[in-house]
Amino acid sequence: MLDELEIRRLLLATAARDVDAFARLYKRCAPLLLGVAQRITRRRELAEEVLHDSFTRIWRAADSFDPFGAPVGWMTTIVRNRAIDVMETHDISRVDSYHAALDDKPEASLDQMFDWSQADTAEEALDASRLRAFLRRCLGELAAAERQALVLAYEHGLSHGDLASHLSKPLGTVKTWVRRGMGNLRACIDRCSGNEGATR
Amino acid sequence: MKLARHRQLDALIGEYMLGTLRGAARRRFERALREEPTVALRLRTLQHEFAPYYSERIAETPAAGGWQRLERELNLSQHRAPWYSRVSFLRGWALGATAAFVLGLTLPALRTTTETTLTPIAQLALKGAPPSVTAALSRDGSTLELRAARPIVAGPLQSYELWVIPQGGAPLSLAVLGQLDGALRVPEGHRGQLRKGAVLAITVEPAGGSPTGGPTGPVILSGAIS
Repeated sequence: MLDELEIRRLLLATAARDVDAFARLYKRCAPLLLGVAQRITRRRELAEEVLHDSFTRIWRAADSFDPFGAPVGWMTTIVRNRAIDVMETHDISRVDSYHAALDDKPEASLDQMFDWSQADTAEEALDASRLRAFLRRCLGELAAAERQALVLAYEHGLSHGDLASHLSKPLGTVKTWVRRGMGNLRACIDRCSGNEGATR
Repeated sequence: MKLARHRQLDALIGEYMLGTLRGAARRRFERALREEPTVALRLRTLQHEFAPYYSERIAETPAAGGWQRLERELNLSQHRAPWYSRVSFLRGWALGATAAFVLGLTLPALRTTTETTLTPIAQLALKGAPPSVTAALSRDGSTLELRAARPIVAGPLQSYELWVIPQGGAPLSLAVLGQLDGALRVPEGHRGQLRKGAVLAITVEPAGGSPTGGPTGPVILSGAIS
């Protein structure tokens, strides 16, 4: 797991145009971010392009990173969005290749792809660690179809249309699974955090 | 319409985080993120609760040269500190400058010491010609230095011999030389003779010096000690 404290420091230094910090940021994060891009593009050369474009964006937009936000999450969002864009512009017949390539059991890939460990002991990290535990538990409590839709969309960057094709379901049904899945997930996490009713 | 007041704001944020918010909808959302602090704040809250940590198991090694390409295309070198402002350079420069300063202070002092301890005592010349060799003596009288205006080197079968001729006395041999340049150690027994009124003379002798202990060859240079 990347050290969020270190990555935040490097990201803030990058915003201040510290090239050495940016170089260290690349060294520390490029492998993981390439893995994220690879999950979505499923093609090595495209993933490398996504990584390059993403770090270009990270360099240029570093000053818009919220110092209190999650640094790895911020970079991951850039990579995922870029990968999704690249897949759309390359007009890749993703569904054909995906039918063969995608995991049949997205539930299993949840534990492959994400780190749910709770080894951190620092107070702030403990908080994040508990939230991760809630998230993992709540994902497990979702209806199988909802969980499958969410994991496929997140891991592989599938659109509603892609999901509908892959799961052989009507677009409306898939959209409902996604929306209801996210809603249920949030309600569950709120419940776990003792915040039920606090959200609008 | 402000997105912050959107009834389905959380759902939109959820789709954005999931990646299913696409095209114009995503661009609209991203614009709202920049323009509406409430939207950005809500995203941050939900990201805090939802964002799972990717496992390093999915990490892959990027192609070699990826960083160099970024460096080139973003022209990162222009943001690097110029060579003269880098800490390592400054540190080196400071050390060097300090060393140079110390040497600058001590070297002239050393030179002055050497120079003051060697005092010119005689100008040696051919009779009637300008002096060609200067003799200088150390303060303690142990070292005599000959400084020639131009190199004077003895031939292969010759040596030069340096004599001190005390007032009213016989020549005493100070040294047998191959060339008339350089410092020589004055024999202890003769040190008292190098004083005002005595004469320094150089004769040409057979290789290895006078066979008799007294000058045998012609005097080429001489000068009184002043």
